[in-house]
Amino acid sequence: MQLTINNLSKTYDNGVKALQNISLEMSNGMFGLLGPNGAGKSTLMRTIATLQDADQGNIMLNDLEVQTNKNAVRRLLGYLPQQFGVYPKMSAEVLLHHLAVLKGITNKKERTNIVNALLHKTNLYDVKKQSLDGFSGGMKQRFGIAQALLNNPKLLIVDEPTAGLDPKERNRFYNLLSEIAENTIVIFSTHIVDDIKELCTNMAIINKGKVVLKGNPLELIHQLEGKVYQKVIHRNDLNRYKDSYKVINEKLFLGKPVIHIVSDTNPDNGFTPVKASLEDVYFSQINN
Amino acid sequence: MWYEIFKFELKYRVKRPETYVFFVFLLLFSIVGVDFVFQGVEIGIVKKNAPLIVAKTMGAITGIFMIMVSMIMGIPILRDFQYDTEALLFINPLTKRDYLLGRFLGSFVVLLFIFSGLLFGMMLGSQMPWHKEEEMLVFNVFSYIQTFSVVVVPTLFFGACTFFVTGMLSKKLLVVYTQGIVLFVLFLLTKAITNEYLQGLFDPFSLTTLTQFSKNWSVEERNLLSISLSNILLHNKLLWIGLGLFVLYLGYHKFSFTVLTKQHKKKKKIRQELPKTINESINVQIPKVLVKSDLKSKCIQLLELTKFYTFSLLKETSFWAIIICGIIIIAINSVSLGTVYGVDSYPATHFIIAELQEMSMYFFIILLLFYSGELVWKERNIKQYVLNDSTAIHNLIPLTSKFLALVNIYIVLMLSLIVTGILFQLANGYYELNLGVYFSGFFIEVLPFLILYTFIAFFFQAVSKNKFIGIFLTLIFIIINVSSAYFGFKNSLYKFGGKSLGIYSEMNGYGHFLQPYLWIKMYWIVFGILILTISSLLIQRGTATNLWLRLKRLKYQITKPVLKIVISFFTLFVLTGIYIFYNTNILNTYWSDAKELEFRANYEKKLKSLEYLPQPKITDVNLIVDLYPTKRSYQIKGTYILKNTTKKTINEIHIQKLIASHVLLKSIVFDREVVKNSQYSEFDYTIYKLKTPLQPNAIVKMTFEQSYTPKGFEDDNSDTQFVYNGTFFNNNILPTLGYNLKYELKDEDERLQFNLLPRKNKASIQDENELINARSGGDSEGINLETIISTSKAQTAITSGKLLKKWTENDRNYFHYKTQEQIINFYSIVSADYKVAKDFWKSSNSNTKSVDLEVFYHKNHVYNIDRMLLGMKESLSYFSTHFSSYQYEQLRIMEFPRYREFAQSFPNAIPFSEAMGFVLDIDNEEDIDMVFFITAHEVAHQWFGMQIEAANVQGRNFVLETLSQYTALMVFKEQYSKEKVQQLLDLQKEIYEEKRRKATHEPSLVLVENQDFVYYYKGILAMHKLTELIGEERVNKAIQRFINDWNSCDGKIKMNTKHYATSKDVLKYIKEESPKDMHAIIHDLFETTKEIKNQY
Repeated sequence: MQLTINNLSKTYDNGVKALQNISLEMSNGMFGLLGPNGAGKSTLMRTIATLQDADQGNIMLNDLEVQTNKNAVRRLLGYLPQQFGVYPKMSAEVLLHHLAVLKGITNKKERTNIVNALLHKTNLYDVKKQSLDGFSGGMKQRFGIAQALLNNPKLLIVDEPTAGLDPKERNRFYNLLSEIAENTIVIFSTHIVDDIKELCTNMAIINKGKVVLKGNPLELIHQLEGKVYQKVIHRNDLNRYKDSYKVINEKLFLGKPVIHIVSDTNPDNGFTPVKASLEDVYFSQINN
Repeated sequence: MWYEIFKFELKYRVKRPETYVFFVFLLLFSIVGVDFVFQGVEIGIVKKNAPLIVAKTMGAITGIFMIMVSMIMGIPILRDFQYDTEALLFINPLTKRDYLLGRFLGSFVVLLFIFSGLLFGMMLGSQMPWHKEEEMLVFNVFSYIQTFSVVVVPTLFFGACTFFVTGMLSKKLLVVYTQGIVLFVLFLLTKAITNEYLQGLFDPFSLTTLTQFSKNWSVEERNLLSISLSNILLHNKLLWIGLGLFVLYLGYHKFSFTVLTKQHKKKKKIRQELPKTINESINVQIPKVLVKSDLKSKCIQLLELTKFYTFSLLKETSFWAIIICGIIIIAINSVSLGTVYGVDSYPATHFIIAELQEMSMYFFIILLLFYSGELVWKERNIKQYVLNDSTAIHNLIPLTSKFLALVNIYIVLMLSLIVTGILFQLANGYYELNLGVYFSGFFIEVLPFLILYTFIAFFFQAVSKNKFIGIFLTLIFIIINVSSAYFGFKNSLYKFGGKSLGIYSEMNGYGHFLQPYLWIKMYWIVFGILILTISSLLIQRGTATNLWLRLKRLKYQITKPVLKIVISFFTLFVLTGIYIFYNTNILNTYWSDAKELEFRANYEKKLKSLEYLPQPKITDVNLIVDLYPTKRSYQIKGTYILKNTTKKTINEIHIQKLIASHVLLKSIVFDREVVKNSQYSEFDYTIYKLKTPLQPNAIVKMTFEQSYTPKGFEDDNSDTQFVYNGTFFNNNILPTLGYNLKYELKDEDERLQFNLLPRKNKASIQDENELINARSGGDSEGINLETIISTSKAQTAITSGKLLKKWTENDRNYFHYKTQEQIINFYSIVSADYKVAKDFWKSSNSNTKSVDLEVFYHKNHVYNIDRMLLGMKESLSYFSTHFSSYQYEQLRIMEFPRYREFAQSFPNAIPFSEAMGFVLDIDNEEDIDMVFFITAHEVAHQWFGMQIEAANVQGRNFVLETLSQYTALMVFKEQYSKEKVQQLLDLQKEIYEEKRRKATHEPSLVLVENQDFVYYYKGILAMHKLTELIGEERVNKAIQRFINDWNSCDGKIKMNTKHYATSKDVLKYIKEESPKDMHAIIHDLFETTKEIKNQY
């Protein structure tokens, strides 16, 4: 499976340029989309998931053009949106069956098998008879994962899937995703940098509708290796440092600001070199 | 603080489209409001913009659009819950009082704005050019505003309070939709209250109240008096405002401002119940599945989804509320069915079904409008569409299953109504349940109509931006489509949905109306399928986009299977269309209204000059009639003997063929040489010039052959004369002589359109041309009739005369009738599958022969045969004792299908409609025996109509109808108690006064034209008064002398003057028989329009 995005652009009616000339290539395996809120990740994912049309550019899934062959793509597609509603007063099991029918799994035995398997996989089997509107956010998210996997998708799009999951469930979910990613393209958006490093073989950073960086996370980190320095500073000096150095990140350590800068040479002045992290890669792009 | 909420609510509403949509809709609707509400109701001399009329219209429109009140007032609180904003709102420092008050008043102000559309619309409407000046009063702004404030505002307030509270407490949108119905049910419930005051008091829309309020107003007062808040109207308004306040108070206390926290607790609880065990099922393998997209799997998807949506609708409480309301309404309304003159009919299935259809329409339309919106927008409303829309299902499948689910819901409602109907019948001890009629009544008559409009509703929902716009577009479409018929937009090939099926007769079922109905419904359903397919291509999927973009992307949607569906259904649509066109426009001639009007106008313009051209009279008629009921066709071979009864020679004989399709008149042969002149052949009018003129008293024999062979089906087939079972026609289908008045345009406006002067309903009482005419185009002064009729094996054919012989030949029944004495040239032929009840009557005078009595009836209609036979006997006795002897040796009653509702007398034969008494359920204690009375009236026509013919001028119906009413009353009086007679008179008086109020013109009895409220209802009252004044004996004596002098057979004066009798002649005998001091009162009764006083 190969997904190619060519020069995709989308401008909303209110003038927001959600996507600007985005080009990406993905094949089987996990692909991470990283970016701040409002960067255009969800727009991109909705467009790939056939729910929205771009103004320009195209998306190819192998030889299929997504925009004009939506239903053929949908057959291969699993999609977990960032937010979704469910029919009131309906149990997880019934709704999964309903969605399975919509996806074309019309053989009743097959349908029952996969619904049960996925209920187990997402740890919802024991509550399958309970009404979905009584579910907690994490449980609803797990239901969302289950429904996305109903049709053995070849292209799985998951938009901020781990929001609301506790660490245990998140691990469980990541295991599930990496298992699936062996023969599936999994596009996965998040703003949690570490998730990408753990999971993804490829990634792209999107900001303000543009791809600002793409590649293998480890290689990207490697490129920055030896150029990152850090220093604990006084709060009042922050602006002065920002003027003199390329500050990519600021965080607190024991209540005091710690800044990371990028520099080809050792700046001394109390800075100590640190190991580059994906977070540094991310912020070096975003905070430019 | 409440003011902030109030302002917020107003600001919000100002931005909402429905605020304006509703306003504009009400405005537009109200412009035609008066014409809509009072359509078909003669408001008579009351002006169209009289305050009372305006008030009633406003009340009715408010009632009709209560649903808008519910949609505005039901949602303000609900909205906060729907959009989950309640959490944000309720943590603010806000008191419950401020919150509710602000929301309520804000919405109420918006509601008043919306309904001001009604006020302005009605004001605008009164200025519209289609009103005639004489129908209007001078425009008065204040009177409109006053009426609006008095009638509409309190109703709105009550609705606002109630709907606000129900919406707030139930928090369900569908409850908001359906509560309008509940109020409607309430309104209908008040109709069942017998106490007038209470009925007026409880009417939520104040319609009955207004009637009561103005009960004692004269016409001038009706035009002048304004609608003030006083008397019963005040009580009514106070009651409903009070109720509104009470509901608001209750709701205020019930509403919990901390709902959110409670809900939260509930959620937590569920979470705690969850098992904590992480089960080790993580290692379960995800099985491989086959994602299918073949036809079979599509069918499975369709089936599964249909089930899914059907059950989701069945779970709606609002649906069950509708069902229960429906059942209540039916139970109440079915109490009086098929009422004729205050007497109810047996609860036969077709009555029940008619009642069910009528009452349930409102519910079906509500289901259609709202549930279609609810279904189409279901996933979007709850934001589940993101899941559904990314699955590989084609739009057509969920849309079709939603469509089918709604159809299933209609079916469930129909079945429950049927069960209610059956229970009602059983409860009334009526066990002739006719399931077939129930089935066809709903599934053939109503369901196709609903299905068709559901297609439309789905289409509008698919292309609209939101549910409300969809609902309103659908509603507007329905209104336009229904009302387009009034503007002549009728052809079923382009008027969406075609026509309704019409009346069900127990004798004839749906008859020949069924076939075209089914074809046209099929044609439109195919069209509907196309519409649904197109809707599925245009409906929103994924992120919302506007319609224009969706149209641009349409090409990607048109896949091969879709194209196949579209092409095949389009072909089917065209083919059925061609077939229908072939039937209605090629095999038959399609007459548009305009074309027909023009034809009639031309007929009059070209031929009117020939109206009183001397023509010979028919003296003998010989007919061989072959009826083919299954084909609805006939063949007639006829012979007329024509005699020149004038004093001049006649050179030309003018023959008018019946103007109708598929009627062929051929082989017209005279027994002397003629030259045919076809210059008026476009009107089927042929002139035969006699080579040797017809001298006075000379005769000529004319033979002809006429046939009728209907082909295919017609679009607007209203022919009820020739049907499968229950054929009933009279001799006006046969060739007539000279100009026919009946083809002229009657309506004044239509005549004006063609520059024709208004025509009189009846000629003046001095009109010499018509004084020698007993009816328009009478063509005769009396005939001898001999007929041989054949019909199908199951049927019996009946006409006037004595049955000489009957036999069966070639699987057909033959009947040979011959009159033994002269009859008027007015006779009927009926043929149906009859049962017959026989009896005889013998006069006290032993010299006369006995009279054979027969009632021919449809096999189930056995209820009132004895009453008919009794009526015949008693009438014959009374009339032959007091007036003159009965002229025939037979008297027959024949039932005919209920398409026409009357009974009519022909020589020794009385066709009697199925609807007129065969199925009346007469309770001797409570009801008037109307069957007996109608029978007596018709038998009376054997004297007044057959023995005495009246001149075709003003007062003709006094001679024929009023005298029949009087004599029927006398027969009734002999048979029934004084109380029953009084009950009968009270009923006649009630009908008279009701019809009189609505009439534009009331002539005196002597000069009555076609005003039935005068010659029937005033007539009987005046004659009854006369008997009180001078006694029954003197009245009878006068009538006896009148018959003696004026009868068509040997009346002295009739023979001498050649004139037929007039009302003035009758009055002369009455005056002669009464004392001089009564003459003034008699003058008042018959020659003026003064009220009939109780005491003179």
